[in-house]
Amino acid sequence: MRLPFEASFRALLRPSAAFASPPPTLPRAVLNMALVWVPLALVNTAGTVFRSLQGWASLRHGAIPPSVLDWFGVDPADLQAFLLSLPVPPPFGRIWPWLLLLVPLGVLGTWLHHAVWDHAGLWLVGGLKEKRGFRISLLAEAEALRITAVGTLLGLLAFLPVLGPVLALPLLLLDGYLWLFRGFALAARHGCEPWRGLAATVVHVVLLSGFALGLFALMLFMVRMAV
Amino acid sequence: MRRIPWVALGTLLVAFGAWASGFLQPFSDLLPGCAFKRLTGFACATCGLTRCVMALGRWDWGAAFHWHPVAAGVAVLLPAMAVGDLRRAWRGDPYPSLPDSRVARVSVWAILLAAWVLQWVRGI
Repeated sequence: MRLPFEASFRALLRPSAAFASPPPTLPRAVLNMALVWVPLALVNTAGTVFRSLQGWASLRHGAIPPSVLDWFGVDPADLQAFLLSLPVPPPFGRIWPWLLLLVPLGVLGTWLHHAVWDHAGLWLVGGLKEKRGFRISLLAEAEALRITAVGTLLGLLAFLPVLGPVLALPLLLLDGYLWLFRGFALAARHGCEPWRGLAATVVHVVLLSGFALGLFALMLFMVRMAV
Repeated sequence: MRRIPWVALGTLLVAFGAWASGFLQPFSDLLPGCAFKRLTGFACATCGLTRCVMALGRWDWGAAFHWHPVAAGVAVLLPAMAVGDLRRAWRGDPYPSLPDSRVARVSVWAILLAAWVLQWVRGI
């Protein structure tokens, strides 16, 4: 008997063999991705929105720790007055129908976003030498995102009352791995070395997140100088 | 797929985002700022980007170039790229491949690093 997502977990455990079979057509790959990811993303987003509305309501009642006020670097009295002036949050029942439209659009937008940036990243690290075009990146991303949708499934654990906060760090590490995992698909479908595919996803995140890795490298350098 | 002018549509989306950012002006003081700069005291390559986009939303090109010259330069080029993409889509031509040239790749790396150094030196 095959368990749900068994193939995805197996692919995540053995990424170098995950994309050895011939690729599907692009429409089929996108459809497969959407069929797996959209329902999970809908549940995850609905949970996130529900929690955010609860958080919004509590913010309006002034439930904000002083440390957060310090972090914003603004006058606590001003921020408190601003929060109290926030409108009443809309009920969840009025929002969820919009999710049925926005979540599939978000999934397709994420797929396109990853394809554009990873393709650019792959070019920057010299991984496009086989002259396979952007269409191959779209295909690779769709294949990879169908597999990494299990991250959205496991992300639902974060909503559990006690286990959620405990699992925050492991889930963050898993997200990091799932981000890099797309590199294996890119490398396999573009016919380049796996490190170039992985590097493309790293270049993507570096360009996207304000040189976070630069910070890491700088910290390593500072530690090295201090020792 | 090639009949859809994705670059032109993306340009429209960016323009809309820049225009909509004008509505965020009253709340811009609440933005937490760059975590990289907060931790290290040095600007990152994207420091000034939010202020650049907000300046573009006000159609203040001088301020936009001041806050992030590279992003403002890209904003200048986007309409030309969009027109080129519309022409390509009209003809049904494929998207041009990225150049298989080490010089081009190194040049882009150099521009990215230069942008970082520029923002760093100016203390943006």
